[in-house]
Amino acid sequence: MSISRRSFLKGLLASSGAALVGPGLLQVAHAATAEEAGKWKVSGSHWGAFRARVYAGKVQEIKPFNVDKYPTDMLNGIKGIIYSPSRIRYPMVRYEWYLNRDKSDTTKRGDNRFIRVTWDEAITLFHDELERMQTQYGPWALHAGSTGWRQTGQFHACGNHMARAIAMHGYSVNKVGDYSTGAGQTIMPYVLGTTEVYAQGSSWPVILKESKTIILWADDLVKNLQVGWNCETHESFEYLEQLKDKIAKKEIRVISIDPVVTKTQDYLDCEHQYINPQTDVPFMLAMAHTLYKEELYDKKFIDTYALGFEEFVPYLLGETKDKVEKTPEWASAICGIKADDIREFARLLVKQRTQIMVGWSIQRQQHGEQPYWMAAVLATMMGQIGLPGGGISYSHHYSSVGVSSTGAAGPGGFPRNPDKPDNRIHKNQDFNGYSSTIPVARWVDCILEPGKKIQANGATITLPDVKMMVFSGCNPWHHHQDRNNMKKAFHKLETVVSIDFTWTATCRFSDIVLPACTQWERNDLDLYGSYSARGVIAMHKLVDPLFQSKTDFEIFALLAGKFGQQQDYTRGKTEMQWVEELYNDCATANKAGFEMPDFNTFWKEGFVDFGKGEDWVRQADFREDPEINALGTPSGFIEIFSRKIDRYGYKECQGHPMWFEKSERSHGGPGSDKHPIWLQSCHPNKRLHSQMCDSQQFRETYTVKGREPIYLNAQDAQHRGIKSGDLVRVFNLRGQLLAGAVISKNYPTGVARIEEGAWYAPIDESIGSLDTYGDPNTLTQDIPTSELAQATSANTCQVEYEKFTGKVPAVTAFNGPNEVA
Amino acid sequence: MMQTIKRFWKIISKPSNHLSFGFLTIGGFIAGIIFWGGFNTALEVTNTEEFCISCHEMSDNVYVELQDTVHWQNRSGVRATCPDCHVPHKWTDKIARKMQASKEVWGTIFGTINTREKFLEKRGELAQHEWDRFTANNSLECKNCHNYNSMDFDIMSERAQVQMKMAAERDQSCIDCHKGIAHHLPEHMNSGDGTLAKLEEMATSGYKTGNSYYSVRQLPLFTDKTLGTEAGQLNAATKVTILAVEGDAIQVEIDAWRKTKGFGRVMFEDFAMNINDGFLTKEVAQSDQYMQKGESKVDDLTGLPWQKVEVKLWMRNSSLTESRDTLWTFAKSTYDVSCSVCHTQPAENHFDTNTWPGMFNGMLSFVNLDGDTQALVLKYLQKHSSDFSEESH
Repeated sequence: MSISRRSFLKGLLASSGAALVGPGLLQVAHAATAEEAGKWKVSGSHWGAFRARVYAGKVQEIKPFNVDKYPTDMLNGIKGIIYSPSRIRYPMVRYEWYLNRDKSDTTKRGDNRFIRVTWDEAITLFHDELERMQTQYGPWALHAGSTGWRQTGQFHACGNHMARAIAMHGYSVNKVGDYSTGAGQTIMPYVLGTTEVYAQGSSWPVILKESKTIILWADDLVKNLQVGWNCETHESFEYLEQLKDKIAKKEIRVISIDPVVTKTQDYLDCEHQYINPQTDVPFMLAMAHTLYKEELYDKKFIDTYALGFEEFVPYLLGETKDKVEKTPEWASAICGIKADDIREFARLLVKQRTQIMVGWSIQRQQHGEQPYWMAAVLATMMGQIGLPGGGISYSHHYSSVGVSSTGAAGPGGFPRNPDKPDNRIHKNQDFNGYSSTIPVARWVDCILEPGKKIQANGATITLPDVKMMVFSGCNPWHHHQDRNNMKKAFHKLETVVSIDFTWTATCRFSDIVLPACTQWERNDLDLYGSYSARGVIAMHKLVDPLFQSKTDFEIFALLAGKFGQQQDYTRGKTEMQWVEELYNDCATANKAGFEMPDFNTFWKEGFVDFGKGEDWVRQADFREDPEINALGTPSGFIEIFSRKIDRYGYKECQGHPMWFEKSERSHGGPGSDKHPIWLQSCHPNKRLHSQMCDSQQFRETYTVKGREPIYLNAQDAQHRGIKSGDLVRVFNLRGQLLAGAVISKNYPTGVARIEEGAWYAPIDESIGSLDTYGDPNTLTQDIPTSELAQATSANTCQVEYEKFTGKVPAVTAFNGPNEVA
Repeated sequence: MMQTIKRFWKIISKPSNHLSFGFLTIGGFIAGIIFWGGFNTALEVTNTEEFCISCHEMSDNVYVELQDTVHWQNRSGVRATCPDCHVPHKWTDKIARKMQASKEVWGTIFGTINTREKFLEKRGELAQHEWDRFTANNSLECKNCHNYNSMDFDIMSERAQVQMKMAAERDQSCIDCHKGIAHHLPEHMNSGDGTLAKLEEMATSGYKTGNSYYSVRQLPLFTDKTLGTEAGQLNAATKVTILAVEGDAIQVEIDAWRKTKGFGRVMFEDFAMNINDGFLTKEVAQSDQYMQKGESKVDDLTGLPWQKVEVKLWMRNSSLTESRDTLWTFAKSTYDVSCSVCHTQPAENHFDTNTWPGMFNGMLSFVNLDGDTQALVLKYLQKHSSDFSEESH
């Protein structure tokens, strides 16, 4: 096992552009001798579990947890998070706001000038502002619902702490959906009856045994499976290793449909089907057209399991409004794949057992609902849904989906809801005619256009007039689109509060900043393996909270104390009592199936192993009995045509999947004459979104001249006189940034990549100022996918770039605030 | 022998020749008093705890269990003895109860429950008798001490307040919710992770023909009163009307709608609403014997034809409750706690009835809910969705 494991990691490193960046994890682990001084403790993270040697009150080294056979080299970034120069050391208040409060000059927001205050003063200010919102305005003025990938640990989950304390004080605006899968999770319940994006997929052993062809549709498994929502186990990598082996032996064909050669393709050494960016739907439609014309589709499956095919076919044949037949020739001109190749591909899909795996990035673009819906229609025509090794999934790249679930119960979390909802300080629930819940990505619109009515998933939403925002462990100045538009919005906010452990751009644009500690400075526990439920992992406090930081539990208990409800908030229990209780509740829930030792034994050993689950086939029950095991769609069947969506009367999401031209598109599409390069801002390879960007030493393994890399096509770069290692200015009408050029054969002409999560580092707070580090959302556009999901469209973005020749500005992202004495 | 009986009958049936009318009446009266006194004294003896626990069936089982409960020992030093709860205070009821109890004496003499194993096996039946009695008298013995009017709701926990206020309004029988508080519950009600037991505790007992009830969980349906041939499954929180009670079996009617694409096996609560009421076997769904078919119409939002049906089937006389309110309270608190671990749970009325199954199924990977609770929570969400909610969201 260890030999194959090493070769696997070597393969991984060799295949990624980051191979240049330094020694892999195992080598580091080898270099350290086991007998060094200190104490070994167990903890977890989104990047996996590990053991840490703590000596002299400092984390000295990190070793992967022994159960994890395929650790990610991002574990090398953990120490750098704890000891980052970006750490928030003290409670800080924006200087201008400190002097003038809600009358402050909000155009100065983002100037990074802060003053240090005591904890008591900071909490008092926080509380005063909550009071002011509830009394001067009402619950509609406060938005404290945005959440992100909190640090792991079920008890300290920061979103839960914020939600509970704020809700004990009063009502506020909330959100629905998330940035990762906004379009997918909204459309798929109409089509296949669940969100799909967060559903367990068929087990890998079944796929490896039964599939003859696997289609990876914009799906970079090897890159994205490095991280997990809970503590990641990396069990999927064992199966990817077997898949690589089967590809080499020609037992399984794997084809990656993607504009770029992905890390997964490089690792697996599989086939590539190039496609122009954002044109997946024309390719799919043309394949459906071929299957229909050549009568290769599964009529019987459609009759038994689906509705609305007859209403969809006229669109394929060009008999509806647009009068365009969706022939391979028609698609070819858009998607850049030869018409005959499209036909060949369609025939391949129905030739043998085929599993389609779809990634998430193609739904984070304008009309992101469409490729997801159309892929399901294609899979329905193939007729393999519910068969072992066949059908379609939208989640195999996420949090160990595809690793069989043990069925064990995981630990619960700190209660998000108040125990006594009637006891909240402010009982006013009058939202003044505004909606109390908004689609997650529309909050900037609320600030800029309060009172505007928008359509969302069948409802009419009236955007609330948000005056104050609270963020905890949440970095919208990374995940939201169009920085300069956000600056305009933040000019209109009266108060912004951020609770975090590290000085993100969100902190920079806040008024009150409270230092939380990292997850390794507190005791907690977590589920080991999000979907596999492999076990429960202890998270021992490695070191005490650094500087003046506190746990989220302490911070919000202090806030609750300000309005006299600290006891209700904590239920009179300490951190360790909570952790023990969550463990014991989990043990009770598992009583029937899984033996768990008493808490003290667990805490000492650090891990309870539930073993491996049983293999499972997605939608097999539906295929076996569609009546009893009906889907969660309105009809209970696969809906190729949705009358419900059709009745909404939306323009950009109608009764069946369709091709819509994008507002911006490369390869001859709109806007490509002025800004010819499609900017892809997919999930990063060396971070979890914006987390770990502050880990200096680790960051320096991939930056170019201290900037975020931009991956470029050689011809495009040459045309602009750019070599690898050059600084480039990337721009469009929305903004400009500096990035470091990395020329790679993996990128076709007209395509560039800057991975999301690169920290925003403007030269100053003015609108349009240059971003000195390379946050792609400086350039992306803040438009909804459609009236249905109202989700982010980050991947609909055209840019131009040039060699940067001016005076090189310093990177402003990572050194925390400028303290005003 | 026959001769002796006949002679005795002759003597007592003839008018008296020797004794005066006065002696007979007054003497009879006095003898009556003496007899009555003796009877009552004897009866009272059987009403003492000493008598109850004089047989080991009681002293080794239920009496020991009582000692772990608040009815045995508490802050204020008031304790309940066996007869406080188990002997009616009204004379006629008392006698009736004694007649019933003679069965237990019989049991003692013949050793029906003379070991712990035998007792545990019988516990369900014995408990059911007591619960039926409590249901019939509206938990009178509980209420001799615990009075709704004297309860201070404000010092109860949040959840208790909701439950108790609702119960008080309807003068609900205490035993509906408080089974197993003085003695252990029967084995099958304690299975699993305790949720099932919690659901079972919400069931009422003693069902009346003509009344409607709701299932506390998923329950098997049968074709006839022998409960031998399975006919399908009733979903949680589904309304049934009792048509007949036959021993342990009840005949119920389920008013439902079904889609007629396929075999029409799934029952739904209302037209074009995917609120699951349970399912039927293919044989039952396809037979006219078990249902009355009503109107048919097409659901415009899916294009599927639906048909109204009145399904008549048999089931066991257990696990039903009079109102869905307690089920909803349980479902809501489960939803609020379990579905807020990862994210803020969407408001119930954020989605419509037919959207909830898709949203709910998509979130199940991360929650620890058994099948019965899942079914119940989903139905709760559907019944409180935007289709049933007046406030816009």
